Amino acid sequence: MEPYEQLHSQLQRRTFLGRAGIGLGATALGILLRGESRGGGSRGGESWGRSLAVGGGPHAAVIPPSSGRAKRIIHLCLAGGPSQHESFDFKPRLQELHGQPFPESMTQGQQLAQLQNTELKARGSFAKFRRCGQAGLEISELFPHVGSIADEICVLRSLFTEQINHDPAHAFFNSGSIIKGRPSMGSWLLYGLGSESADLPGFVVLAARSRAGGAQPISARQWSAGFLPSRHQGVQFQTKGTPVHYLDNPPGVDPMAQRRLIDIVNRLNRSAADTRRDPELETRVAQYELAFRMQTSIPELADFADESPETLGLYGIQDPRDGSFASSCLMARRLVERGVRVVQIYHRAWDHHGGIEKEMPIAAGEVDQASAALVLDLKRRGLLDDTLVICVGEFGRTPMGQGSGRDHHILSFSGWLAGGGIRPGVAYGETDELGYRAVVNPLSVHDLHATLLHLFGIDHTQLTYKYQGRDFRLTDVSGNVVHDILG
Amino acid sequence: MHARSLRHKTTEVKILTVEKLIYAIAITLGWLTLGAPTASAWQATEPPPAGEVHFNRDVRPILSENCFRCHGHEPKQREAGLRLDDRDAAIQYGAILPGDPAASLLVERIFEADADLRMPPVESHKSLSETQKELLRRWIAEGAEYEGHWAYQPPKAPPFPRCEPSISNQIDYHIDAQIHDLGLAPAPPADNVTLLRRVYLDLVGLPPPVDLAQRIAAEPNQDWYPAVVEQLLASPHYGERMASDWLDVVRYADTVGYHGDQNQNVFPYRDWVIDAFNRNMPFDQFTEYQLAGDLIENPTTESLVASCFNRLNMMTREGGAQPKEYLIKYAGDRVRTVSAAWLGTTLGCAECHDHKFDPFTMRDFYSMAAFFADLRQWGVYQDYGYTPNPDLRGWSNDHPFPPEIQVDVPYLHRRIERLSREATEHCRQAWRPADASPNLRAARDRWRNSLSEFLAAAPSGWRRVVPLTARDAKGEPLSLESAEGRLHVDRKGNEPVVLTLSTLYPIQSLRWNLLSHDGQSRTALPPPAGDFRLQLSLALVAGESAGKKVDIDFADAQPVRPRYANTHEILGVADNWVVPGDAPAGSSAVWRLAHPVHLTEGELLEIRIAGSLPPRFELQISPLVPDDLLSPDDWGIDLSAIDGDPLDANCQAWLARQATRAGVLGSDARARLHNIEADIRECRRGQAPVQISQPMEPLTTRVLPRGNWQDETGEIVEPAVPVSLRRDAAASEHRLTRLDLARWLTSPENPLTARVQMNRLWKHFFGVGLSPVLDDLGMQGQYPSHPAVLDTLALEFQGKGWDTKHMVRQMVLSAAYRRSSTPDARMQELDPANIWLARQNARRLEAEIVRDQALAVSGLIDLEMGGPSVFPYQPEDYYAHLQFPDRRYVASADERQYRRGVYMHWQRTFLHPMLAAFDAPSREECTAQRTQANTPLQALTLLNDPTFVEAAKHLALRGLGEAFASDGERIHWLVWQVLQRPASPGELHELTALLAGERTRWRANTADAKALLAVGLRTPPADVDIVEAAAWTSLSRALLNLHESLTRY
Repeated sequence: MEPYEQLHSQLQRRTFLGRAGIGLGATALGILLRGESRGGGSRGGESWGRSLAVGGGPHAAVIPPSSGRAKRIIHLCLAGGPSQHESFDFKPRLQELHGQPFPESMTQGQQLAQLQNTELKARGSFAKFRRCGQAGLEISELFPHVGSIADEICVLRSLFTEQINHDPAHAFFNSGSIIKGRPSMGSWLLYGLGSESADLPGFVVLAARSRAGGAQPISARQWSAGFLPSRHQGVQFQTKGTPVHYLDNPPGVDPMAQRRLIDIVNRLNRSAADTRRDPELETRVAQYELAFRMQTSIPELADFADESPETLGLYGIQDPRDGSFASSCLMARRLVERGVRVVQIYHRAWDHHGGIEKEMPIAAGEVDQASAALVLDLKRRGLLDDTLVICVGEFGRTPMGQGSGRDHHILSFSGWLAGGGIRPGVAYGETDELGYRAVVNPLSVHDLHATLLHLFGIDHTQLTYKYQGRDFRLTDVSGNVVHDILG
Repeated sequence: MHARSLRHKTTEVKILTVEKLIYAIAITLGWLTLGAPTASAWQATEPPPAGEVHFNRDVRPILSENCFRCHGHEPKQREAGLRLDDRDAAIQYGAILPGDPAASLLVERIFEADADLRMPPVESHKSLSETQKELLRRWIAEGAEYEGHWAYQPPKAPPFPRCEPSISNQIDYHIDAQIHDLGLAPAPPADNVTLLRRVYLDLVGLPPPVDLAQRIAAEPNQDWYPAVVEQLLASPHYGERMASDWLDVVRYADTVGYHGDQNQNVFPYRDWVIDAFNRNMPFDQFTEYQLAGDLIENPTTESLVASCFNRLNMMTREGGAQPKEYLIKYAGDRVRTVSAAWLGTTLGCAECHDHKFDPFTMRDFYSMAAFFADLRQWGVYQDYGYTPNPDLRGWSNDHPFPPEIQVDVPYLHRRIERLSREATEHCRQAWRPADASPNLRAARDRWRNSLSEFLAAAPSGWRRVVPLTARDAKGEPLSLESAEGRLHVDRKGNEPVVLTLSTLYPIQSLRWNLLSHDGQSRTALPPPAGDFRLQLSLALVAGESAGKKVDIDFADAQPVRPRYANTHEILGVADNWVVPGDAPAGSSAVWRLAHPVHLTEGELLEIRIAGSLPPRFELQISPLVPDDLLSPDDWGIDLSAIDGDPLDANCQAWLARQATRAGVLGSDARARLHNIEADIRECRRGQAPVQISQPMEPLTTRVLPRGNWQDETGEIVEPAVPVSLRRDAAASEHRLTRLDLARWLTSPENPLTARVQMNRLWKHFFGVGLSPVLDDLGMQGQYPSHPAVLDTLALEFQGKGWDTKHMVRQMVLSAAYRRSSTPDARMQELDPANIWLARQNARRLEAEIVRDQALAVSGLIDLEMGGPSVFPYQPEDYYAHLQFPDRRYVASADERQYRRGVYMHWQRTFLHPMLAAFDAPSREECTAQRTQANTPLQALTLLNDPTFVEAAKHLALRGLGEAFASDGERIHWLVWQVLQRPASPGELHELTALLAGERTRWRANTADAKALLAVGLRTPPADVDIVEAAAWTSLSRALLNLHESLTRY
């Protein structure tokens, strides 16, 4: 068999085990899975199969780990739809046309959101652009720090999507489909690659707090494992207070007491396993161990005391526990250092239908320094080579004005990538002269997904899961790897 | 062994046994090692089964998995013009020559040595094992007979040798025959306590009562079992247990799911489902009510509530959403739900293209969607400038999702009754006629005297008052007309108006009556008038308390334009009375003050009015409060009777209530009554709104090319069921309706519905469906392990009145159900996945039941049924990222905290973390099968979620309340409570050791012990021994965390 066919059948086998929920004998399961893990660097039988961590636990990769450049991903989700016209896609012609009717020839028959039934007028960028880095990438002054790392990033200018409202657009960007119950890309990655952390979930989500207006709601389905086994779901860490629900011991119970309790629970469960012959009992024991490890390791993770003032300054962190985007970026670095495979940070301040000139600089101010700092910090720690950073919204905004702002736009939007095998210091794709539509190298969400998976060494057509009788994949039935942006 | 003796040809069976054993091993191992969960694929090293090849069992899975994608019914996908799903076509093509494999192209190509020519092609990533190839060859040699896909054929009554055996006997006959053929012996029956706990958890979702478990444990046999089954089938908690499965399937939730994920009004539907299961409503009627409760002849309130089913799709009111696009999304959602819930098919896959595997076309999809085109609904439930919705003018994110009706909620009526009794009893005690203190007696007398004085002057209970002055906000006087108390203020613009009152009578209520605007017309405002707002605030001026604000406890009015907060109507008008423009003269509002106002010499009551001021009005005051502010003239008693001596009981109770309200009997007594009364008000007169189906002129439904909602070039379709499932292909005379759909779903012509329901019911009792892919019985689903059982059940269900309880009874009375779930070595070897059911399947409890059992064994549970969803403890800020409107989660602060899981608030975008941790679905999509994970988040939840900590504490306190001779006895008691079985010596030893350690620890840290015991709403009794309570709480936590607690064995 070709390696990928082998992979495919292995995946299907795991599919079956995960989905059937039938009580396999522990031994049979162990043997099967150990067989499957050959060459994958398993840490041993105990860490396999259903006795896995949240999000997969430490287990060998189905994909050989050396085959991709990227090992981890940090996804900065600028929720609400950041304007490309004030960030990465400068169009002199749009400036000239500012306030004039927008050419109907372009907009005819296209989908609009809140601009339905209104007169469409061009709106030039209110922000100035500068040429940054060796390649002279045009980046707006709202993002001076990102501009200063232009040589590290790959700017995408030709993204487009299919969904014009926030909720389905998030669903589409995260899962490649608008139908609920489909796995998010983080879950797919975890399903394909497993987790490298012994005491943390493999997929962590942070929702940053913001002082800016324009907040859009988000939904836990954006990090759902969908029909994949639920251990692959993202686990949301609260950015303030206890990071994980029910992580703290009950009041008055110290770690020693909790440990004693877990010990007796585990002993009683183990002795039941002898008579019950229920493999779930051993799994339960392992999960209680892992839960205890999480209880001890996460407070250490969340405590930034060992970070130098210089590092805090780099990110622009005022108060390490303020739940800000900056603190979340530093948390993301700490998470990937500890082997977490996927981190998503939501910053929900980008829905600028109105007041864009006032609100967008605030939102950009919260994101710019910290996102650039994250790239620099990863780089100086030698993590950038195999950590992919992606910064993008669920769609963009119209080159037409909507009062004092811009409406949702799906035919073009911008973002940037860094690390993880991405070619740095380049821009990919172009829109037309008004920034309305991606015309050179249009990049679909499925293309982006295919490329991301490729960076992890995964052929997007091969990472499948059988559900309701069909082999589903993140990229549905399309998606092409964009080799031009690979380093 | 009876099944064995029932076989027709024993000798033949013997011969077959070995082969079938191999077959079974191959099936079992084949699934595990080849892994394709849909195919009964053969392991390469095993020989194919001897005997005749069955197309559906053996061949179809291979063809479906490997060939049909390119050689199936879908012309667009078809390669080389060959289809293999149609016998005639395959023969005509030359792919198959029945009886002659050597001449069949199919055989040639699958055995082809050249990889470039071999089928399936490399790029398909499919491949056939040698065994599979051999099977196909043999099938052709044996004549290449096709069978229709099993699930699309009418169920067949399998042969059964005895006369009229019970269905449970038939189940056992088929299962046992298979087990014996495999050379397995069935597991022995589960022991008494295990079986009792199993059947309780499966039928009512609660652990059995301990006294019953102890009695049953001593029974020498299982003769007790049928009676217990009957008792549980008759229990009201049966409906609660069975409802959860159905609520998953119909994606029932308390919120709309899209974007702001606002609340929706649907809980009466949940209560109806529970009740329908309890009443054992026949499944065909159950179907009809849900799909077409509004279309049946003479719809009833009940059938309309059931029709809420059609309104459980996700909905949006996001700004900028396109109504048309969302109507298409809603339609697709409904098609997916109906086809999965009733038909177990994936018709939803045909939205953008014809189905790849099953015989469904895009036209079928849109024809199914057309059934729902008559539902009154809105694509976007809001009125935006860019997407105007004249029907919903003025609507906000807080408004409901129409159409709705108001229905009576038995739970709320019960609650009102209980709270009213509580209030009466509370006031009676507050009045304390027997042993009142001199002070209290004096206060009471003063209050009665002053009341009598007032009533002498105002026998109606209301006294009209005329303000002394009217001024504007700056204090400038305004002209105030008063003709016999009919007031008119000459107001400047919209400036606030300030009236001052002086009276010697105490004021507890203030009443505002709207009068005819011109003294003759019947309306309060000159038409045409828009709505207007009356906002009122009160303060004392002049005198000692000048500037003191007068608090309003509550106010209500009629008529009123409702206002909403996150879909719920805001109670009362205390802050704002929105008066409809057409309000009749005589409309009134009553403001009930938190404390009575006694104006002293020189003091004035200031009434500040913001908003609008009606042209003519009158003001009245009273020292009393009407029980119902909407009937201010109905005092409930004859006011002239209150001076009677002795008072009749009714009058006495009334006086006690009025005195308590006024604070005459102490501020604590008043506060408590006010709280109870607020709780009563919250019951909204026992009524609640519920979303329903309402028919209208159907919208046009078109086939949307590639599912693109903006493409209007597609063909217009009428409602129709999938062509391939129709027996009579002729078009109907009239446009089909949802009612026709409902009737077709449960018609004998439809082979799917009964099988799908029985398969799902089987899964409820055995952990795995007979066909394990519950949501797809189509080509890509899985051939049933016991087709004869599934068809027997389906025929019985369909043929005997769709009687769900009857089917449940047959399943749980079967020997197969009652077996032990512990595998022996041979089972582990031959059938590790337990496909052949020689034993029961142990399984972890569903999320709701994990909660219920902890609350039940601790004694905290409140088994009240129905009503608005409840709010268990939840981590703070969990909803921080929900907007439109902003959300604040307030945990239930009374007995509702301890209601069962099925009543928990189900927030689609942020499901309660406990439910999510234990694999409850978000119910955004139809879910027939919950995943079963085992994660550290589950451990953290059981260890640290306050619900489980409080349960442990309560259990410990209950144990300490009982008298025991020793710690050992109390430990035994605890184990019985939690696990409904005796403790083993090992457990006793471990728990005793834990107890000793915990006592030492808590003795050294009593502050910690107090902190632990403070978790939850229930506080321990004051005289409790803190150290003991904390130590036993630790023990209880250990037991509640045991895997066995969460498992039904």
